[in-house]
Amino acid sequence: MLSIRDIYFRHKGRKEDVLKGISFDAQPGHITTILGPNGSGKTTLFKCISGLWKYYKGEISFNGKAIDKLSPRKRARIFSVVPQEHEPPFPYSVFDVVLMGRASYVGLFSTPSKRDYEIVEEAINTVGIEKLKEKPYTKISGGERQLTLIARALAQNAPVMLLDEPTSHLDFRNQINVLKKMKEIAVNRGLIVIMTLHDPNLAGLFSDKVVVINSGTKIAEGKPDEIITESLIKRVYDIEVRKSSIDGKSMIFPVI
Amino acid sequence: MKGIRAFLIFLSPLLVAWIALFLGAYGVTPLMVIKILLNETLHLFEIGDIPEKAIIIDIRLPRVILAGLVGAALSCAGVTLQGIFRNPLVDPFILGISAGAAFGCAITVGFLSFLPIQFTAFVFAVLSVMIAYAVARTQGEVSRLPLILSGVIVSAFFTAMVSIVKFLVDPHKLQSIVFWLMGSFSLSDWKAVKIALLGVLSGVIPIFLMRWRLNVLSMGEEEAKALGVNIKRERLLFIGFSTLAVAVATSLCGIIGWVGLMVPHLVRMLTGPDHKTLVPLSISAGAAFMILADTISRTLTSFDIPVGIITALTGAPFFIYLMKRAGKEAWGR
Repeated sequence: MLSIRDIYFRHKGRKEDVLKGISFDAQPGHITTILGPNGSGKTTLFKCISGLWKYYKGEISFNGKAIDKLSPRKRARIFSVVPQEHEPPFPYSVFDVVLMGRASYVGLFSTPSKRDYEIVEEAINTVGIEKLKEKPYTKISGGERQLTLIARALAQNAPVMLLDEPTSHLDFRNQINVLKKMKEIAVNRGLIVIMTLHDPNLAGLFSDKVVVINSGTKIAEGKPDEIITESLIKRVYDIEVRKSSIDGKSMIFPVI
Repeated sequence: MKGIRAFLIFLSPLLVAWIALFLGAYGVTPLMVIKILLNETLHLFEIGDIPEKAIIIDIRLPRVILAGLVGAALSCAGVTLQGIFRNPLVDPFILGISAGAAFGCAITVGFLSFLPIQFTAFVFAVLSVMIAYAVARTQGEVSRLPLILSGVIVSAFFTAMVSIVKFLVDPHKLQSIVFWLMGSFSLSDWKAVKIALLGVLSGVIPIFLMRWRLNVLSMGEEEAKALGVNIKRERLLFIGFSTLAVAVATSLCGIIGWVGLMVPHLVRMLTGPDHKTLVPLSISAGAAFMILADTISRTLTSFDIPVGIITALTGAPFFIYLMKRAGKEAWGR
């Protein structure tokens, strides 16, 4: 279990806090989604959990052990991060990109071992991108890149996977594909998955737990169909929505 | 296909070196070159004191080896800098490292002759790359265009400093500084080869061992950190080792630009961007390229043209080609 306790963050030289004491837990085999409008502190919280930014108060612990002061190498063995898809400066093959996930296991003066190559093959098969292996990462679609980055995170063999808006650059079909794949992987591997999303409906369809934040504080936390309500959306996003249920899944849609 | 190409690139320095040994003002047959080399290394048979032997062993061989080592160093530094700065358009020359090293050498030759020339070259080379990097860095990332611009600035500054040294220095020393600055292997001897071997290898070997991490570092600061890389430490190591190799090379043969830009690009086109193969093949190809350029510079006309002129004449058009091909993207993040 990953527990985030009372995280406070402020930017250098600023007086006001961006995060004002956020706490929640994330369970293995579950997808926990952080939901909130632009400027809510969602991305800041994500960067604090992934260790890129330092919070000045609070504690994050994994299975009861505090992990606030780990070296990058040790941290990378607990957390894998799937960034938003992007273009690297050199046209590495998909396989080479996934292989980078092994960086925290490969010594400074060494190159990946046979075992590393096997783990990468397995990660590629799990995500189902075998056909892309030899293709340049710069020449594949946005959805394929996101899957490649998920495979890379898997190759990292870390118990916690963090995804930063994994659907933001994708078309509708790829959004669903990527999230379905993530759900499957989280359950099969018993991973603690934490992601940020923009769309409350996608969050509702694919998450086991939603943490809603606004202005740096937690507004609500719980099962998506219980907490994503008309009044919550009004409060957080300031728009009118109606909630309905189709095939047992609750959805919200805006009143226009 | 890739394997065959890699193999040919890997062997290219030997082939080019052999050609370089029999070409020159004094004709030596290709076979005689092999005979002399075998005689010198294995002592299989006696060929006596023929003039060819002195020309090959005392004049051409140290020059070819030195050119090879310097080419390997510059090309290795080029591929390393391109990787850590995520910028296909940089090399030690563009980032001002060569100019910094040249300034270090010039003040040593001019005024501080008690200091080892390689030491001052290294100090100022490190200083120049640190300035170029610090100027270009904003919000944790180094964008492409600012890095090239800051390299130009640093280069211009140290070139001006060299000019001051030239202006103030004793006229007898001036001539050697001027000639050396143009970049040439005409003063090669076995002593220079020994220095080059020591300095260049102590920079190139660690980079060769760490080469796979260049893949990870080239993904950017935040991503490399999330993948478990101690980015500050590793970047510093790469900068330090590549600067060491460049500083030693510059101290021995002056400023030779563009090699570190061109060679890694050509290798990348032929065998792909994975640094695991790119680094060793760039080292090989850099050696071959430099030996070739130096052979051209000493055989093209009846006198020795500084090799820096040859590399600049090929490098500048190559840079324009890269810029045009990459278009807008080359200047983005």
